[in-house]
Amino acid sequence: MVKRISLLALVLLPLVGVAALSAQQRQIAGRVTTGQTSEPVAGVAVTVTGTAFAAVTNADGRYTVSAPTGAATLVFRAIGYKRREVSVPAGQNTADATLEQDVFNLEAVVVTGQATATERRNAAVATTVVTGAELTAVPAPALDRALQGRVPGAYIQQNSGAPGGGTQVQIRGSNTVVGSADPLFVVDGVIVSDASLSTGLFSVTASGNPQSTRNDGEKQDDPVNRLTDLNPNDVESIEILRGAAASSIYGSKGVNGVVIIRTKRGRAGTPRANLTQRVGFSELQRGPGTRAFDTSTAFKQFGDTALVRSYEVNGVLPTYDHLRELAGNKPLGYETQLDVSGGAGNTQYFLSGNIKGDGGIIENTGAQRQTLRANVDQSFSDRLSVSLSSAFNRTTTQRGFTNNDNAGASVTYALAYIPGFVPLKPANGAFPDPGGLSYFGANPLQTTALGTNDEAAVRFTGGLTARFQAVQTARHNLRFVGAGGIDFFNQKDEVFAPRELFFEARQTNPGASTLSNADSRLANWNANAIHSFTPAGGAWKATTALGVQWEDRALGRSRVIARGLLPGQKNINQGSVINVFEENTHERTIALYGHEDWLGAGERLSLSASVRAERSSANGDVKKFYLFPSVTGSYRFPGLVGEGSEVKLRAAYGETGNQPLFGQKFTSLQGGTVIGGNIGTVVGATAGDPIIQPERTREVEGGVDATLLDGRATLEVTLWQRRTSDLLVPVTPAPSSGFSLQFINGGKIKNEGLEIAAGITPIRREHFDWLFRTTFSSLRNRVLELNLPGGATGFRPANAGYGLSYGEFFVQVGQPLTQIIGYDDAGNVISLGQTNPKFRWGFSNVLTYHRTTLAFLWDWQNGGVAQNQTLSLYDCNSLAPDGGTPAGQARTNACLVTGDARPFVQSTSFLKLRNASLSLDLPDAWAAHFGARSMRMSVSGVNLIVITDYWGYDPEVSNYGAQSITRNIDLGPYPPSRQFFFTIQAGF
Amino acid sequence: MRTRLFAIAAGLLAVGAGACNFDITNTNQPTLDDLLSNPTRTKLAAAATGVIAGARGGIQALIWRLGSTGREGINLSGNNQPDFVEPYFGPVAAGGSFGGTLWFDRYQHIRSINVYLAALGNAKDAAVDPVQGLSTQEKAGARAVANSLKALALLYVVETRGELGAPVDVDRPLNAAPAPFVSEDSAYGYIVGLLNGAATDLTTAGATAFPFPVPPGLGGFDKPATFLTFNRALAAKANVLRATAKNGCGGTKATCYAAALTALGASFINPGATTPTGFQAGAYFDFSTAQGDATNSLSSPLNEFTFYALQGNETDAQLQTGGAKDQRVLDKIAAATDTQRALLGSIPIPGELKFVMYFSGGQADPGHAIPIIKNEELILLRSEANWFGGSKAQAILDLNQVRTNSGKLPATTVTAVSADSVFVKALMYERRYSLLWEQGARWIDARRFGRLGDIPPAIPGGNVPPYMPVPQSECDARNLKTPPASQDVVTCNPPTS
Repeated sequence: MVKRISLLALVLLPLVGVAALSAQQRQIAGRVTTGQTSEPVAGVAVTVTGTAFAAVTNADGRYTVSAPTGAATLVFRAIGYKRREVSVPAGQNTADATLEQDVFNLEAVVVTGQATATERRNAAVATTVVTGAELTAVPAPALDRALQGRVPGAYIQQNSGAPGGGTQVQIRGSNTVVGSADPLFVVDGVIVSDASLSTGLFSVTASGNPQSTRNDGEKQDDPVNRLTDLNPNDVESIEILRGAAASSIYGSKGVNGVVIIRTKRGRAGTPRANLTQRVGFSELQRGPGTRAFDTSTAFKQFGDTALVRSYEVNGVLPTYDHLRELAGNKPLGYETQLDVSGGAGNTQYFLSGNIKGDGGIIENTGAQRQTLRANVDQSFSDRLSVSLSSAFNRTTTQRGFTNNDNAGASVTYALAYIPGFVPLKPANGAFPDPGGLSYFGANPLQTTALGTNDEAAVRFTGGLTARFQAVQTARHNLRFVGAGGIDFFNQKDEVFAPRELFFEARQTNPGASTLSNADSRLANWNANAIHSFTPAGGAWKATTALGVQWEDRALGRSRVIARGLLPGQKNINQGSVINVFEENTHERTIALYGHEDWLGAGERLSLSASVRAERSSANGDVKKFYLFPSVTGSYRFPGLVGEGSEVKLRAAYGETGNQPLFGQKFTSLQGGTVIGGNIGTVVGATAGDPIIQPERTREVEGGVDATLLDGRATLEVTLWQRRTSDLLVPVTPAPSSGFSLQFINGGKIKNEGLEIAAGITPIRREHFDWLFRTTFSSLRNRVLELNLPGGATGFRPANAGYGLSYGEFFVQVGQPLTQIIGYDDAGNVISLGQTNPKFRWGFSNVLTYHRTTLAFLWDWQNGGVAQNQTLSLYDCNSLAPDGGTPAGQARTNACLVTGDARPFVQSTSFLKLRNASLSLDLPDAWAAHFGARSMRMSVSGVNLIVITDYWGYDPEVSNYGAQSITRNIDLGPYPPSRQFFFTIQAGF
Repeated sequence: MRTRLFAIAAGLLAVGAGACNFDITNTNQPTLDDLLSNPTRTKLAAAATGVIAGARGGIQALIWRLGSTGREGINLSGNNQPDFVEPYFGPVAAGGSFGGTLWFDRYQHIRSINVYLAALGNAKDAAVDPVQGLSTQEKAGARAVANSLKALALLYVVETRGELGAPVDVDRPLNAAPAPFVSEDSAYGYIVGLLNGAATDLTTAGATAFPFPVPPGLGGFDKPATFLTFNRALAAKANVLRATAKNGCGGTKATCYAAALTALGASFINPGATTPTGFQAGAYFDFSTAQGDATNSLSSPLNEFTFYALQGNETDAQLQTGGAKDQRVLDKIAAATDTQRALLGSIPIPGELKFVMYFSGGQADPGHAIPIIKNEELILLRSEANWFGGSKAQAILDLNQVRTNSGKLPATTVTAVSADSVFVKALMYERRYSLLWEQGARWIDARRFGRLGDIPPAIPGGNVPPYMPVPQSECDARNLKTPPASQDVVTCNPPTS
C-alpha cells in the first residue's frame, strides 16, 4: 500500500508547479441573492462561459472569479435554483445575480463520470434528481420507501408491513435471474451495502432451510435491507442513474441502476440549527376476514365431535376476529431530528443526530434507529480542499414471527388454520391451546407474547474526498480528485421461541434460540484526473477524465441454533442440540476508466464517450479486463416553442453488467457432514462454472426533454431498450448427473420501456401555488434465448413457488421473465400472468395558500399478478370468509381436488394514496417567541387509502424480500399498516 | 500537456495493475479438485465418511412418501397439500413436489461415491507413501464399501420407478449427454453386478481393516469379512426384486430366486430368530442430534401434528390367540394424544394414530436408527425365494417363523399346495407389518405382485399409482415431454437401452 501511495504521489508531483496564472485576465466579483427574499445564497457555482474559470459563493453570497479581459458571460448554478446567465461587458468588474427557485430540479448538476458532472439541461441521458426536502416531507421507514412514486422507471415496492422497512428497488425492469437485483448505492462517494440478511427466523419456522447465500431459502424471512440505516433527513439530494449509458461508469455493478446520495454539508456563516419533532401512531390497514361457522357447518367440516361442541358458548359457536386480536394495536411512533451547520474561515461543518421509533401493530414488534452524522469540509487554499463524511447508525428491529412456515411459528400463517370459533385470548392468565384446530397447535397470541425475533445493526460509513486544482488558466483546467471510504456494519440477530409455546412444546427438543452475526465491510477508493480545455474564443469545451477505482467487499456470517432449551433460558449454551453455520464471501474489483465530454455549438450540442475496463475476483478468469463503453449525445433548441421554452433531443448507448456472485465459479465439497461422531465430505449439489463472467447489458435510450411556459411546465419522455446477454442462468442438469444446479452464462433477455416525468404549476398567484408532478413508467420484458441442457426452453428459478397447483414462476423463452404458470382445472399448464405491472403512475400535488401547504401523492399500479398463497392457505382450509359458499367451495376444491392454480394468482392493480400532509408555517414573530427563526407544524398520513381487488393483505408484497424474479409471493406477511403523524419543525 | 496526461494514465494503470491479489479462493468449503488431485489418507477417510453418511439421505422422505402411497400413514402437517393430495388423489406428477422427489438425492450420493472412487484410484500406494498412501487391500475394501452403497442407492431408485427403468451409468462429465435409461431388469442386473464386484473386492481385502471409521449402525459389518454378509443381504434383496421386475432375469424368475438363495446363504441371516432383538439385527442408518449429524424426523412426540398412522393398519391386523391385535401393530402404533382432522376434498381424514417404532424408552428419539436391511426381512426374502425357486415347505416355515414370533399370530393356513396368489397374499401381510413405515414395502410389494388393487384408495376418487414419476428436470434435460395431468402418474417415458 505504501508503495502504491508513493507511486501516485510521483505522478501528481510534477503537475503542482504548473499552476501559474496566465496574463490577459481580470477579476470579477459580485453577490448572489434569492429573487424572492433577497437573502444571500451560498455555495453557488460561478463559471465563465467559454473558459475554464470557476468559483463558489461564500456565506454572504459573495464570489470572485477570474475572467478574460473581453466581454464575458457568467453562469450561476445552485441546487434548488434556476440557472442564471449574466453578461459582463469588458471593463466591468462586478456582477450581481438573483436566483429563482427551481421546483422541478431542472437545473441540477448530474454526474457523467466518477468525478465529472454536467448541467442537467445538457445531460444526454434520463436522470432523476430528488431533493432531501421532497424525501422528508412525509415520514417513511427508510429512504427507498420515500422515493416511491417520484422516480420514473423505478419500481419501488415494500415487501411487507413489518416495522423497520424491507423494500425492493427495481430500476428499468428485471435484468437478471440469479445475479444481484439491487441498485448500487453510493453515499458521498462511498459505495454502501444494501444487503438483506436473514434474521434466522427460519430456524423456528422451518421455512427456507438451507443456510447459504447461494440458496435464497433464508430470504423467506423477509429481511430488512440495510439502506434502512441511512437517515433520510441527512440527504441533500438523490440522483438516480437509470440507463446503462449513465451507469456504465460503474461497470459490472451498474445494471440495476445507480443511486447517488449526497448528504447535507455546512456553509460558512452564522451557525444554523433545525429541530424536528414528530409523534404519531399506526393501525392495521387491511387483511383477511374470518369465516363465521354455525354449528352445522362446523360439524360438516370438523365432524360432530365433542371438541367442536366444547367451543360453543350458550349453545352457539362464537366468531372471534383473530386478525384484530393479533394486529389491532395502535402503537406510537416518534422521531427527533436535530442538525446544526455552519462554518468559519476555511472550515464548514454539518452535524446531525436523529432518533426514531416505530411501533408495530402486532404486540412486541417495532423498529428504532439512532444516527449521528458529521460532515466537515476544509479548504487549505484556493486549490486544495478536503471533505469528510461520516455517519454512525444503530438500527434495531423486533419483527416477530411472520411469513412462510412449516412448524407453527408464523402468526399470520397460523391464522389461516384457526377457525373463528376457537378463542385465542388468555383466559384466567393462560393462553388456550387450540390443539388440532390450529397449525401445529400454535396460538398466535401466545407466540406473539413470548417469542422474539430481534435485530440490532451497528454501522459506520465514512468517506474522504480530496480535490486539488492543479492548473487553472483561460484555456486549461486540471484537477485531481481522490476519494475513498469504508462502509462497515455488524448485524446481530436473536430469535427466541421458548419451550412453552404450544408449537414448540410438541417438538422432540422444544425451545429454540438462534444467535446470528454478520460482519460486512465494503471499502472503495478512486483517483481521478480531470482536464478541461477551451480553445481561444470559447467555441467549445472538452473535458477528459481518467481514473482508477478499487473496491473490496467482504461479508462474514455465522449462526448458532440451539434447540431443547432449559426452561426459562435463552442463551445458546442452554440447549441440548446445537447447530452451527459459518460462511464468508469476499470479492475484489479494480477498474480503469476514461471519459470524454464535449460541449459546443453555443453549449447546445453535448457529446460524450467513456470506457471502463474492469477485472474482478468474482469472474472465472480473474485476470481478464471486461470493457464497458458508452456514448451519448444531446442537442438543445432554446425558445423553440415560445419564449423561455427549451426542447432537447437526446440519445445514448451504453453497456453495463452484473457480476457473478461469490462462489458461482467453485465446485465444492460439502464439509461438516457427521455420522457416528466422524466428520466427512460429500459432493455439493451445485456445480461451479470455472469460466463464468459478468452479464452484459447493452442499452439504447432516446428522449425528449422540454421546458415550457417559461419554466412553469416541464416534460421528460424517454424510450429505452436493453438487451442482456451472457445471462447467468441456473441450469438444472439432469439430476441423474448428481448435480441439481449449475450457474452458467447462457441466455438473453430484453427489457424495453417508456418513462415520462412531467410537472406543471397550473396556478401561480401571489398567495396560491399549485404544483403538480407526475411520473409514468411502463416496461415489458421477454426472454429471448436460453441455453439449457436437452434443449429445454424454460426453467423454474429458486423459490419459484409451491407447485403448479398454486402457480409458480417459470422463466421461459418468448415469455416475460417474471411469468407465473400453473394448472387450470383440466390439468393443462397455462400462463397466469407476470409480476411486472402494465404501468405505474404517480401523481404528486403540492398546494400552497399563504402559509399553508397541502401535499399528497397518489400511486396507481395497473396490472401485474402475485401468488396469493395466503389466500390458498385460507381456501385449502376452507376458512376464507366465503368458505362453504359456492364461490369459496370452488376455491377449496381448486386447492384440494382439481389443483387449479388460477384462483391463487391475483391481479396486483391498486390505487394508493401513499401519503398526504398539511403543514402551516407559523409567522416569524410566533417563531421568535420560542427563540426560533422559523417554525412549521404539520399533520401527515401514510398509506391512507388503498383501492384494490386484491384479497387479503397488500398487493405490494414480497415475502422473499428483494428478488429479481420471485417477488410478489404473498404467504402470511406482516400485515400492512397506515400511519398518522404530527410534526413540529423549528429553524434556529 | 498531452505528455502529462499520458504520465498520469500510466501511473494510474500501474497502480491498478499492481494492486492486490484477485485470485480469492473458496474460503468456506474444501474443493473437489483438491480431493481428486491430492487424495491423502485423511481426506479419503473424510470422503468415505461422507459416502456412508450420504447413504441415509432421503430415506425419511422415501419412508413417508411411499408409506403414504401404500396407505401406511399420512403427512398431515398441512401446508404442503401435495404431501397428502398427490398420494391420495393423484396424479403423482413429474413436476410435483411429491412424486418428483426420491431421485436427485440418490444420484447426488452416487456422484459422491464416484468422486470417492476416482480419488481412491489416484491415491498413492502405501509402499510409496507409508503415511498418506493406501495398501492394495485397503483400496479394495474401500472400493467394496463404496460400490455396495452405490448399489443400495440405485436399489431405492429402481424400486420406486419400476418398469420406467433408470439411468445407471451416470459417471460422466457434466457437459456430456445424460446417461441413458436402462430397463428395470437391466438396472437390477447392474446393481447385482456392483454387489458381486464388491464381494470380490472384500475377499481381496481379507483381514485388512477399512481405512476409515465405521459408524455404529454398520457396527456388525465393520471389517471386510462381516461387511460381506451385509453385501450379500443386499444382493439377495436385489435378486428377489429383480425376479418380480418386468421381464425379470430375462423372464426366468427362477434364476433370480436361485441367486437370491445363494446370496442369502452368505448373508447375516439368522433364520432361527425368535426375539425382537433377533429379528431387528442388521444394518442401520445412524442418526443423532450432534452438530452436523442428521436427525430422525419420523420420530416425533405423540402430540405432534405431522405423521399419522392410518386406521387401516389396525383394522387389517390379524388377531393373536386371545383376541389381541398382531403384536407388531401393538408395538409400532399408539394413539395420538392430540388429534386433528384434515380435509381431503370434503372428506375429513382423522389424525388419531401415531407410529412409535422409532421411539426409545417410550419417548420420541431423533437419534433412533432406521433399518437398511434386517434379519426379519431376510427371513421373508428367503421365504419368497424358496416358494418360487426352491422349497415351498421351507417357504412356509420361514413365513411362520416371522408370523408366530414377531406377530405372535397363529401359524398360517398356507400350505405347499396353496395357489401362488394365496402365498403372495400371506407374504405381503407379513412384510407389511414386519417392515411397517420402514421402506414403503406395502406399496412396492403390491406393484411387484400386481395387486395394487388390494390397497384401498382410502377416499372416493382416490388412486394408488403404480410407480413414481421421473422428475420433470430429468425429462427436461432429455427434452422429453410429459402428457397432461389426466393419469395416475404424469411423467415422461424415457426410452430404455
